Amino acid sequence: MRMPHPNVLIGLTIVSLVAACAIAAPWLAPYDPTTTSVLLFDTPSSKHWFGTDQLGRDVLSRVIHGARVSLMIGAGAAIVAGLIGVPIGLAGGYLGQTVDLVAMQFINLFIALPGLVLALIIIAMTGATMSNIIVVLGFVAWPGVARLVRGQAMSIRESVYVEAARAVGGGTFWIISRHIWPNVFRLVAVQLATVVAFSIFTSSSLSFLGLGVPPPTPDWGGMVRSGVDYLTVNPFMSLAPGGAVALTIFGFYMLGYREQ
Amino acid sequence: MLSVIVRRLLLGIPNVILISVLLFFAIFGALGSPAALMLGLDATPERIAELERQFGFDRPLHVQYLDWMWKALQGDFGRSYTTSQRVTDALLPRLMPSIELALLGMLVATTCSVFFSSITVGKRIVRPLVNVASLIGITVPNFMLGISLMYVFSVMLGILPTSGWAPWSAGIGQHLLHLILPVLTVAAYYFASFGLVYRAEYRATSRRLYIQVARAKGLSESQVSFRHILPNSILPVITQVGSSLGQLAAGSLVTETVFSIPGIGTLFTNALLSRDFPVFLAIGMITIVCVVIMNLLADLLYVVANPQIRLD
Repeated sequence: MRMPHPNVLIGLTIVSLVAACAIAAPWLAPYDPTTTSVLLFDTPSSKHWFGTDQLGRDVLSRVIHGARVSLMIGAGAAIVAGLIGVPIGLAGGYLGQTVDLVAMQFINLFIALPGLVLALIIIAMTGATMSNIIVVLGFVAWPGVARLVRGQAMSIRESVYVEAARAVGGGTFWIISRHIWPNVFRLVAVQLATVVAFSIFTSSSLSFLGLGVPPPTPDWGGMVRSGVDYLTVNPFMSLAPGGAVALTIFGFYMLGYREQ
Repeated sequence: MLSVIVRRLLLGIPNVILISVLLFFAIFGALGSPAALMLGLDATPERIAELERQFGFDRPLHVQYLDWMWKALQGDFGRSYTTSQRVTDALLPRLMPSIELALLGMLVATTCSVFFSSITVGKRIVRPLVNVASLIGITVPNFMLGISLMYVFSVMLGILPTSGWAPWSAGIGQHLLHLILPVLTVAAYYFASFGLVYRAEYRATSRRLYIQVARAKGLSESQVSFRHILPNSILPVITQVGSSLGQLAAGSLVTETVFSIPGIGTLFTNALLSRDFPVFLAIGMITIVCVVIMNLLADLLYVVANPQIRLD
């Protein structure tokens, strides 16, 4: 077992920390994230590390709970992108010819589209619920996965062991599932970490624009937005959740690091 | 050359049509009757039916699509549902701020990423800084970056205006002062992504034989870098600039919102939130067309800049 690149280890550490926050949120957070109090716009103190927001809610507790929404959307979108992108990429790369031509046409068509614009329109139409956001972001991210898988599958198709598998009379499905897929899998896993980073990036931008999961669910993008008007009163209302988003994206980006 | 352009254009058209059909049908499929939406919750079915007849919503979708397309090609995108203003009238005054922001952002991102990646003097200090800046550009979402910059430069230091837009008439100084933070915010991500592409190409080029020749004939490192490696490595960046500009056609959505800039992006976001579909349908379609055209232009520029490449 080769030692992973230091960047990957950094990413793994950050992602584990964020995941721990998400899972243990009710026990880690000092207060309930949705309980309001009369203590409005309290500046950071030992009781409220990041102060309180415009409804007197503890900002730190909300940031910790916000990890849940972000991670669920990120992981969900990556799964959707994988479910669409992997089969299309495998089929295009291994079968080639017409299948590949059609697959590439679709991949190129969607890869050029502005992801945020597309996601915004679809979500504004279908309503901002967690499952809608997950499906839409997965739909926006699949072409990248498909293109990567296709390229890999194409080069593996030419390898001797695939030729041998074909020579012993292996069927297409058997070759793809037993010989191509296991060799693509690792790369897909790495790419999906990048998709998670992209999805958290986009979903937090969506909720910053007002199209995220509805309140009072604590959600980082939405928290940043509501804090913008109070930057002079308690800057942590924006900076703390914004920092959490950036750190999480950084973690997944590092986890998906590939040496060129 | 001309035949290549024509062929490329013709290939782009089906793409535009396919996406616009998808978009149109998706929006109408999800919206239900626009008439019901316009009238609100307590509308009677008769009133809805009347309005549907009046606006032609009772026609089959493909007829409505063709009708919309035909009018759009003549520059008529209908009227906004919330303000009854013509969509084109709402769009035009917002074009300038968005275009200016996009162009300046691209300019800053391209020159900075190319210059700081090519620089040979003080490499030890510049390289780590470039790496950190790139990492920030890629991992920090625009809203966070914009707000952090705003907090540091406007709230803490008080040297730059917090937000808003000063038109040219307010004086060129004011105008540029208001632009600094938004342009930096837009540029950060592209600085990172252009830099990645450029450095990869730069490394490949610097191994070429003619670079060794340039060194051997006694040119200084920075002459080799800027005069010989740079021109031969910049092509992939040009392509990226092209497609990025197309994507910015919907305005720099997040940045415009952060700094309350009256551009296409804020118009688009507001239209989405109030479900004002003639407005966002128009902006969405224009964006798609721009993306296709800009990608095409980038491809063509590639050919013009490097005669070795042939598109056919």
